[in-house]
Amino acid sequence: MPAKKLTVVISQGQGKNPARRNLEEDIAAALIMDPDVDVSLVPHLYDMSRDHTGMLFLRSVPGDLVVLSWLYPRATRWILDRSDVSGQEGISLLKDEDADDEEEFQEAAAKDDDKDRVAAHRNGVPKRKIYCIDLRAASGSKPFLDEIRRIARENTVQTFDLMQWIQGTPKPQQLERYLHPDRMLAASKATPLGDEENGSATSVASPDLPEPTKRRWYPVIDYSRCTNCMECLDFCLFGVYGVDGQEHILVEQQDNCKKGCPACSRVCPENAIIFPGHKTAAIAGADGEVAGLKIDLSRLFGAPNAIELAAEERDAELVADGRTAVGLTVGIPKRQTENAAKPKDALDALMDGLDELM
Amino acid sequence: MPDELVFMMGQYAAKIPGDRSYAPNHLWLKPIDGGYQVGFTAYSVRLLQDVYFLEWSIDPDTRVRKKQSIGEIESSKALSTLYAPFEGRVIEFNESLLSDPSAINTDGYGRGWLFTFETDAELLDPAAYVKLLEAGWEDTQRMIKGQINEG
Repeated sequence: MPAKKLTVVISQGQGKNPARRNLEEDIAAALIMDPDVDVSLVPHLYDMSRDHTGMLFLRSVPGDLVVLSWLYPRATRWILDRSDVSGQEGISLLKDEDADDEEEFQEAAAKDDDKDRVAAHRNGVPKRKIYCIDLRAASGSKPFLDEIRRIARENTVQTFDLMQWIQGTPKPQQLERYLHPDRMLAASKATPLGDEENGSATSVASPDLPEPTKRRWYPVIDYSRCTNCMECLDFCLFGVYGVDGQEHILVEQQDNCKKGCPACSRVCPENAIIFPGHKTAAIAGADGEVAGLKIDLSRLFGAPNAIELAAEERDAELVADGRTAVGLTVGIPKRQTENAAKPKDALDALMDGLDELM
Repeated sequence: MPDELVFMMGQYAAKIPGDRSYAPNHLWLKPIDGGYQVGFTAYSVRLLQDVYFLEWSIDPDTRVRKKQSIGEIESSKALSTLYAPFEGRVIEFNESLLSDPSAINTDGYGRGWLFTFETDAELLDPAAYVKLLEAGWEDTQRMIKGQINEG
């Protein structure tokens, strides 16, 4: 058996943005020639169903995996997770420069966190690593290729992994196409893989191309943040959420979800619900919650709070379905009163503190 | 002229003039021909401190809903979206602030006015606004403190 190879999967963006196409193709073309790496292309992760051959292919990858996508890494990780492509979180050194500071705060916050997260109750997560990289984190293919090669080197010194047993099983024929990224690239010129809305859906399907996908919209749960509080289950009146055999929250009926509506994400007290396609970074899975050192006085100047906004968004979808708006009367969390015990300081001390920070 | 009220923000005395009305989102509304002139109260300005930049996201002469977002402000201490105080119509903006917003700090109840506004909504009188400040003060401190800790 040849030396252990690193599998790199590029999840193509939706739509035909030529800059995005070019970056995907540049990275793939460079990696096809690389002896330490197996590279494949799949349609946009979020749009692939669990049984899409691209997802089957991802599930069949036995060892360490790098997934490049036009999504925040956290979104990528938990989209994969919900289709049972799981592993330990690989740390990529390639990230948005702006994100660095937030990252430190994140880690600091995680350490003294004593909340009971759903992720802590999960067994059987494979030891292999999954590195999720955002294709928006740098420009040009070089930083991505450098990082992939760094990960590949890190990978080759690892000890033999039990997950290796899967390797060597014959690949089902339908997965064969993912082993030939060169043919796939040639066949997909100018049209993103599987993108039915933007591709010429009527053209004869090439055996080198994956089956088409449709644009989808549904919540993705980050179980490293989720505390199983069930507020989303109470709030959503469209039956999207359910519980599994261990009484853990899950997205049960994703197709009941209302396109464009992120209301449950606003209600979630842990910011654990991701809508990867939403325009607000925090909802789309970006790390961190507060930007910079400046305080946000929007609430003081009359901003509707997250709960009001969520209720408004939900009402719009209820009305569109011919149902009655319920406003703030149903499924609204009762946690607003919990903050009373925090310490109080004089404003002057606060402002002095701010001065020192600036 | 009716008495001026004062609200103590720690050591700082925020003056609340008696000659005008107020909105719960910390704006004053002073009657003028055909509507009101609207500006930041001393309470808002104290929290913002030096205003660097002001931008409106709607055109003059636009009808707005209560809490509709109408602009952005950046100061030495804060960033915020600005929202319509009530349902009504924004008539025009104080153009002089767009190039130099410093009048908000130096003369917040006068030359630092933000826009003129037409509304039928019921406004707060000075005493009611001070009562609202008293009720919200602890919460405001907690909110600011919370953001500093998180940030």
